[in-house]
Amino acid sequence: MTAAFRAGPRPARRPDVLRRLAGASLPYQLLTFTVFAAGWELYARGWGGLLIPTFTETVAATVELLGSAELWRAMYVSNQALVLGFGIAVVVGVPAGIVLGRFRLLERFADVYLNILLVTPMAAIIPLLMMSVGFGLASRVILVTIFSIVMVVVNSRTGVRQVDPSLIEMARSFGASERQIWTRVLLPGALPAIMTGIRLGVGRAVTGMVIVELLMVSTALGGLILEYRGLFKAPLLYGTIVIILAEALLLISVARWGERRLTRWAQTTTARNAR
Amino acid sequence: MGSDDYGKERALIEIRGLGKSFVGQDNETVEALRDVNLDVGENEFLTVLGPSGCGKTTLLKTIAGLIPWNDGDIRIDGTPVRGPGPDRSMVFQNFALLPWATVLDNVAFGLRMRGVGRAEREERARSLIAMVGLSGFETKRPGELSGGMQQRVGLARALAMRPRVLLMDEPFGAVDEQTRRLLQEELLSIWEEHRMTVVFITHSMEEAVLLGDRVVLMSARPGRISEIVPVPLERPRSSDVGALERSGQYVEITAYLWDRLRDMHEEHRPSKVAG
Ligand SMILES: Nc1ncnc2c1ncn2[C@@H]1O[C@H](COP(=O)(O)OP(=O)(O)OP(=O)(O)O)[C@@H](O)[C@H]1O
Ligand SMILES: [Mg+2]
Repeated sequence: MTAAFRAGPRPARRPDVLRRLAGASLPYQLLTFTVFAAGWELYARGWGGLLIPTFTETVAATVELLGSAELWRAMYVSNQALVLGFGIAVVVGVPAGIVLGRFRLLERFADVYLNILLVTPMAAIIPLLMMSVGFGLASRVILVTIFSIVMVVVNSRTGVRQVDPSLIEMARSFGASERQIWTRVLLPGALPAIMTGIRLGVGRAVTGMVIVELLMVSTALGGLILEYRGLFKAPLLYGTIVIILAEALLLISVARWGERRLTRWAQTTTARNAR
Repeated sequence: MGSDDYGKERALIEIRGLGKSFVGQDNETVEALRDVNLDVGENEFLTVLGPSGCGKTTLLKTIAGLIPWNDGDIRIDGTPVRGPGPDRSMVFQNFALLPWATVLDNVAFGLRMRGVGRAEREERARSLIAMVGLSGFETKRPGELSGGMQQRVGLARALAMRPRVLLMDEPFGAVDEQTRRLLQEELLSIWEEHRMTVVFITHSMEEAVLLGDRVVLMSARPGRISEIVPVPLERPRSSDVGALERSGQYVEITAYLWDRLRDMHEEHRPSKVAG
């Protein structure tokens, strides 16, 4: 009873299940996916050669892979580089971006390097990395970091810059110390953009992880892809790629979920006081 | 002119020979304040009126200790101002609320900066939220409130510090006419109950007269005090604002202020300046 009363001022919920379904994006995603899968199946059956498996073959191979120890070993090795590399990107990139956003002078020095990182085709760095660091875990970690850190830095920097300067002045007028301005104003204000950077960075980190294994190191997931290709095991090759995509999607969804949870205020405020 | 003769009560704020220049973008200096002398009595309600750009905000920020000045000095109860202090708190034209924090946390913000423990600051914040009529909104965020409600939060945050001096920079300039009248009445009745020294900046002659014990008229280029107009209207004024506004005295003072302001605008008409 009380709950019903409290819900009073809020917009009433639609009990109509159909309408809610229409409002959600899942049905549309399912629909497009079905069309895509059917198209794939038909194409592969009609014109597919040795290297294009049918959709059903791919699904079967994916299921088979998920049951094999080989895949999970490869996942473990690959993800070591991902976790370490992306961890470094966040731990270094967020503070770096924040500092760059606050201190304009530093930024003038760093801008060049950030732009280089943004525009360089990362694959070109790989040979350099191999020559200096070798073929071990270290070079894979470094590559994942290099791939993902730019997104983290650039977004954190933007986040800090977007914090309304009058909030800093307000905090100072209430006696905030420099440290309190950082922890109570700049960081929370930059959080939405930082989370966006992390979400975009995760995607790039997965790319980096796979690319380095494909192009240079030939271990783990990348190694599996190369092996299946060499053996013309197309369904398994596709299955591996499906699993990598699924992991990337999962990580991005987790990041997006975290972003939404932590920064719900940002959606309401930007919608209301558009300045 | 410039100096004043407020002698009824001891001056709490003493401003002597205050001068402030800004260095603009093209290295040209803007003289925002020149030789400002002003005494504000303990528990006086002072309103400051003047054309746009005459240095009202600058004056308020120097009193707040937020910006440094070039000449003269400012004392609060005999102590020179060196920076922001717990004896002064500010209410901002754009509210300056933390969009990610709840109403409760926003109101408690200043107390937190000053190291007041959680239990005490929340208790004080709650009682101020009640005073400004926002009970029940403690857990809402600024984005969910109307402009008038947001400024109530800003007022409660300032009052929570129990300041001796309340500095208000066009606090009701960003809300609609009806809300502004409500806020004026409420500010009056809060002030009538809990006396403190208020420096209140406004663009509105009516507001200056309705609220103030004296109206400081400022002129631009350079910003200086041109006249101080006493407002001998009876207090308490919050009980019947309508009758007050129809009284002869009120109409007379407002008309006088407009005459003076119009003169200032005339002086600065381009043709006059050229001639
Ligand atoms: N940070 C700054 N840098 C350079 N010039 C400034 C700065 N702040 C204010 N000024 C200049 O100082 C003068 C006074 O500004 P101030 O903001 O105090 O005026 P104001 O009376 O509050 O105006 P308004 O009624 O529009 O709020 C203006 O000419 C303004 O351009
Ligand atoms: Mg101003």
